[in-house]
Amino acid sequence: MTDFWIILTGTLVAASCGVLGCFLVLRKMAMVGDAISHSVLPGIAIAFLISSSRDSLLMLIGAAVFGLITVFLIQALQQGGLQSDASIGIVFTALFAIGVILISRNAANIDLDLDCVLFGEIAYVQWDTLIWNGYDLGPIAVWMLGGTFLIILAAIGLFYKQFKLCAFDPALAAALGIPVALFHYLLMGLVSLSTVASFESVGAILVVGMLIVPASTAYLLTDRLSVMLLYSILIGAISSAAGYYVAKWLDASIAGSMISVAGLLFLLAFLFSPLHGLIVRMRKRGRLKTVEAS
Amino acid sequence: MEKLKVKKSPMQRAKMTLSVLVLILVAACSKVEGEAGHKQRVQDGSKIQIVSTIGMISDVVQEVGGTEVEVTGLMGPGVDPHLYKASQGDIQKLDDAEIIFYGGLHLEGKMTEIFEKLEKRKPTVAVSSNIDPSVLRSGADAGGSQYDPHIWFNVKHWVSATETIRDTLSSYDPANAKKYEENATKYIAQLNELDEEIKSRISEIPEAGRVLVTAHDAFGYFGDAYGVKVMGLQGISTAAEYGSKDVSKLRDYLVENKVKAVFVESSIPTKSMEAVIAGAKQMGHTVTIGGELYSDSMGEPGSDADTYIKMVRHNVNTIVEALK
Repeated sequence: MTDFWIILTGTLVAASCGVLGCFLVLRKMAMVGDAISHSVLPGIAIAFLISSSRDSLLMLIGAAVFGLITVFLIQALQQGGLQSDASIGIVFTALFAIGVILISRNAANIDLDLDCVLFGEIAYVQWDTLIWNGYDLGPIAVWMLGGTFLIILAAIGLFYKQFKLCAFDPALAAALGIPVALFHYLLMGLVSLSTVASFESVGAILVVGMLIVPASTAYLLTDRLSVMLLYSILIGAISSAAGYYVAKWLDASIAGSMISVAGLLFLLAFLFSPLHGLIVRMRKRGRLKTVEAS
Repeated sequence: MEKLKVKKSPMQRAKMTLSVLVLILVAACSKVEGEAGHKQRVQDGSKIQIVSTIGMISDVVQEVGGTEVEVTGLMGPGVDPHLYKASQGDIQKLDDAEIIFYGGLHLEGKMTEIFEKLEKRKPTVAVSSNIDPSVLRSGADAGGSQYDPHIWFNVKHWVSATETIRDTLSSYDPANAKKYEENATKYIAQLNELDEEIKSRISEIPEAGRVLVTAHDAFGYFGDAYGVKVMGLQGISTAAEYGSKDVSKLRDYLVENKVKAVFVESSIPTKSMEAVIAGAKQMGHTVTIGGELYSDSMGEPGSDADTYIKMVRHNVNTIVEALK
């Protein structure tokens, strides 16, 4: 049962992050997950200052608020004309720095850092169960992440066309009368929601990795967004399951193993993808040369 | 119309996958078993399987449980319990455990919540749970509700931890309660001896020189109990960064009070302390590094700090030799 819950949790994280990751990769904003994993620090510091407790729920609320502030600021800076990587970098370092100041000024003698109070561990999800009327309904993480996945699926499913156009050609989308900014903010809001919820259940590395790696792998395998979304989810799910058994075999960190497997799958796609793989590209180049020579 | 249909199909597939998932979930739900807090040992000749977090707790559990228990520690030497990352094998260890002992007071960070959940399944006990909160050091900025978890450097608190372990073992395995009682009494006598020994060793240091400067504030209880002023660069949290003001303040204090040595520890990098020493040297005062103190974890097996008592003794000897 343990194996099942952990793999399911990993797969749900992979599914949520896989879908959102595709849009982030297309918009060249894949590092937004990593940014959020740092920039929520002032959120937990302020939640602690207000409540003087390290209760999980309060920390989660603080983190969620700052997750939203982060993506809002990133989006605003980007629309103000800054490059996306620079806006991500500026926002997360600035917010993280504010968090460090808040903690060293107000809570220097308290063990208050993201690893201690916010980032969960996927190894433990099966013990933190939801109990209702005496029935064990399974891990809270599964319910929370399942709910998040449903929200993402609903939002993307309802506005698939709009999201797609905004990701590929914002100018055209605007010309067609789609409120581009609104959809950018909506996407970023979803990213913030799913990353913060996932951090609490499974920790940072798994979320940041699942946002980037499966989507990038899928990007190499297809040119169609709908197929890319499916591949991304599938690759994430395979990484979760295979990674779990690798962790079991090596007696190592589960999240670390899952992302390592995802990285390995990416490498395979990078080398051997029939569409954009290194080998195919080299062959094409070789063929071009022979054509030129003859 | 044709186009719409193509777009819908991934949604439909997703819906199907989802309903299958929900079905599996519903099937996986099970009725919660009865109260787990009062479980007792099954006498089948096997040892009681116990899991503990830090090495210091494992050591006491082994002393009190003797031949009746088999103790597995999660965190080895040199591991910072605040930032411990679980491996896949830990799941099995915690699942197989009959009793779990942990430090509590948020020593194990986010993992503390997991122990609180496991309490419903098996006896899961914080060894600090019977210490009166009024004698605990509280972070002033937390409104007194958050405590310093490094209780083991006041030997008296560790006596309380030993009693908690004894009582937990006795109620889980009443048949051997007498054995645990005897072992614990013997061990507590050793701890009391250690307590006296520390007091007499510390008195070898001239009173003004009883200053312990270390990079990690894990020695608060030690300072309170044995009359040593403890100064550090960092707060309790390993992640809180020290300010440049902290470095210069500490440097000035060292120079003014002619403190002879500062201490580095086994689980924290020493760079910050080197900055302080270099600063003091520029002001014409030589400070030496007084040697390594153990803070959050014990030494490697076979070293001179591989049990709790040896670890404390190592620390006290190191401090006294450098400062006297």
